[in-house]
Amino acid sequence: MILGDIAHRARSFFNKIPYAAGYALRSTREIVHDMTSLSNKDFLVYAKYWLLIWACIAKLVVKRGPGFVRELARYPWMLHLLRVTRLMRRLCRGRKGLYLESICMTIYTVSTTLAENLEDLFYHQDRLIISEEMVPPDIARAMGLKVWILESMALLLPFLSGESDLKYIDEAENAGVNPDSCSLPKATMGMVLKGHMPKGLAMLSSNMPCDAGMASYSLMEKVYGIPVYRIDAPYNFYNERAEKLIAEDLLDMIAFLEKHTPGRMDWKRLKDICEGRNRMLELELELWDMIRIRPAPLAAEAVFLSHMWHVNLFPGHPTSIKLFERLVEMARRNQEAGVPATENERFRAVLWNPPFPHFIDIFNYTERTYGVTVINDSMTFHRHEPVDTSSPDTIVHGLGRTIMQGPMVRHTRGPAENYLDDIFRTVKQFDLDMVWVANHVGCKSAEALNGMLREMCRERKIPVLILDYDLLDPRIVSSDNMINQVEFFMENVMRAGRLNQQDRPA
Amino acid sequence: MSTEEPRVIKVFEDLLETPQNRLVEQASQDGRIPIGYSCSFVPEALLMADRLFPVRLHAPGVAGTELADNYLSSLVCSYTRSILEFAMDDRYDLIRGWVTVPSCAHMQRFIDNLEYLKRPDFIHVIDAPRKVNESTLKWHEEELHMLADKLSSHFSVDMGKASLMKAIDEWNRFCVIMNRIGDLRKTPNPPITGSEFHRVVMASLASPKDLILPHIEAFYREIENRESTRKYRARLMVVGGHLHDPEFIRIIESQGGLVVADRFCTGSIPGLIPVHVNGDPIRALAEHTFEKTLCPRMMEDFDRRLNNILDTVKEYRVDGVVIEIIKFCDLWGVDSMPLVSALRKVGIPVLKLEREYRTTGEGQLRTRVQAFIESMGR
Repeated sequence: MILGDIAHRARSFFNKIPYAAGYALRSTREIVHDMTSLSNKDFLVYAKYWLLIWACIAKLVVKRGPGFVRELARYPWMLHLLRVTRLMRRLCRGRKGLYLESICMTIYTVSTTLAENLEDLFYHQDRLIISEEMVPPDIARAMGLKVWILESMALLLPFLSGESDLKYIDEAENAGVNPDSCSLPKATMGMVLKGHMPKGLAMLSSNMPCDAGMASYSLMEKVYGIPVYRIDAPYNFYNERAEKLIAEDLLDMIAFLEKHTPGRMDWKRLKDICEGRNRMLELELELWDMIRIRPAPLAAEAVFLSHMWHVNLFPGHPTSIKLFERLVEMARRNQEAGVPATENERFRAVLWNPPFPHFIDIFNYTERTYGVTVINDSMTFHRHEPVDTSSPDTIVHGLGRTIMQGPMVRHTRGPAENYLDDIFRTVKQFDLDMVWVANHVGCKSAEALNGMLREMCRERKIPVLILDYDLLDPRIVSSDNMINQVEFFMENVMRAGRLNQQDRPA
Repeated sequence: MSTEEPRVIKVFEDLLETPQNRLVEQASQDGRIPIGYSCSFVPEALLMADRLFPVRLHAPGVAGTELADNYLSSLVCSYTRSILEFAMDDRYDLIRGWVTVPSCAHMQRFIDNLEYLKRPDFIHVIDAPRKVNESTLKWHEEELHMLADKLSSHFSVDMGKASLMKAIDEWNRFCVIMNRIGDLRKTPNPPITGSEFHRVVMASLASPKDLILPHIEAFYREIENRESTRKYRARLMVVGGHLHDPEFIRIIESQGGLVVADRFCTGSIPGLIPVHVNGDPIRALAEHTFEKTLCPRMMEDFDRRLNNILDTVKEYRVDGVVIEIIKFCDLWGVDSMPLVSALRKVGIPVLKLEREYRTTGEGQLRTRVQAFIESMGR
């Protein structure tokens, strides 16, 4: 029996060798192709960030020493993180100059902040809380706590490796979660059920952004058995009454954290974090002011990945501020020199709803093939006011407002205008030619507005592409299918010829 | 199982044939104002003040949702699609006002599309919180005050304290009689089936209470002293979201199950409990809203939902629980997972069924229920 099993494993190992060799060969060819298509200067920039990222990984591993193996066994998804430079290479295809550098830098800063967050898991379990993605980490960090955003890995891993969430999605579905719900809470629940997520001292959650996400915390609560605090953002929130209610909620949350964790509120520290947040906001608005002019000096991942990671997970963090300063500087230099981010910026688009983590390559593919530049997106675009840091009361009010009016939250609450008006506002503000709706099949809230959106776009003569996909599960709509949808739209609706023939990204 | 059936039940059956039944028509002709509402977070008693009366939005006999699918998409729950279809088809032409709660994303987008497509003269969204504490109760109380003021100014109806107290009294009378009927289901041989009881509940939710009350009382008189000779294999409890069509329960019962407890959105547990007023009636209605609902939208109520099922299982001597979920409902779809585990952990057999709003797939449903009852060794 045992011998049979060993023989079977050996056979399957040897059977895989030709495939592995083929994969290695293809990858090598791909790397050579990608690198030789870079100019010498771009190659040096790329190589610099490549080395910095690997140095960051090496530092994390060396510092943890042999204990890293234990951590790897506990959090096996960390292996996927080793593909970060591959992601950088994919995103740099066809890009050059400061645009390329802005993307390299964004990925590098994601890596360094993530490494810092991983150290929280390794060394600070005694001060660790877990939090849902829509609860800003500012307050807990000001209390001296370490924050792990539960959804962060489910969202990040597919950027690195398209199929990395599948086993977690399957785990949740096999445990009884409805298969039609959003794959983000499903993957997160799968990670929790498999025991691949840390268990903190307490948990923060909310009623945002969607029903499935909110309901998933009943399960988390049962699995972890730790105290949970849930923020309840009202449906109608553009008023003082709602701001007062959420401010009370946040104060209750602080009391909850003080009761269940060693964290104590340090208002001075919260003020510093919020001032950092405000600085990022100021820089981001400056960046948007530059990209609204044709041709945009920076675009796509430099705009949305930087926001998605740094504003949501590391607001006010020195690395985040530094990144935004550098992005603004690079955009300004490009603008002054008259250098566009995309060589042939023919069409400017907004991406509405979450981007395509498992097929992020679609943006540089369409840039190169049709000259479509993604200028902004719904996860990034907001109209926040800065947080008034003059007193603890104003800070809490400001943070409450920021939560309620943040991307995703304001689009999934309140009347349809919250969602639709923002689309037309971005079209005007950024001088756009088309709207791309990332039609995530698990997001019923957005699905149910497509009919209205189509009619409104038709009235305003704005071309709209409703691109079907699933947020994290490429089995639902494949990357090839997604490209077909784009090509069909570009060729039949926009009547746009190809700039040149590109190989489809794998 | 015997086919004996109370005579009065036919009345309720007839009332469920159309979305606006003859009692709604009669009341409208008398100058009263029907207000369409959904879901259970809308306080019906508030909509019973003065000339107003509430009509629960339902779509009996819906055949397809082709029109609504263009707007809501086919990935949204079929309840919201069905009522939007009926609205687009002018099947709610008597309804003069709409009151809703964005209890879930589907309901929320139903409201958006209804407003966009039909532009009703009166539509109001109650911003019901998702957790209960002193601040949110106060918030909800203010929300109900706003609704009352808006109804009063739009329809020129009296929403004063006396008028509300009268409406609450009527609601309480309705609950008392319904609970008496419901209590008969605790007996070893209940005089009514689950599908008959559900017909009464649904017809009542879709009719002016004052006009349907005499029929309910007549029904109670007819069955109160009756002993059933029906044979059943297992006493079941149905748990879940919107369930409007009594046919679904009838199919379950055709396989030897007897549905003795209904803990779903349009069921009586704990939906039909009287309002206790101690001061401001609106405050009482705000508190009552959260007492009478056990929806997974309430973030902190998982244990309350679970304990309610466990208590009901004991009280009604339930042998097994059927959880019914409308396809694409994220709230029930996700929440049912820990719920099923928790119930199985304490030894309660559970059958989880995904369904459409209208009753379809009868053969499949029969097979699954039959297998479930057999798996219980009954």
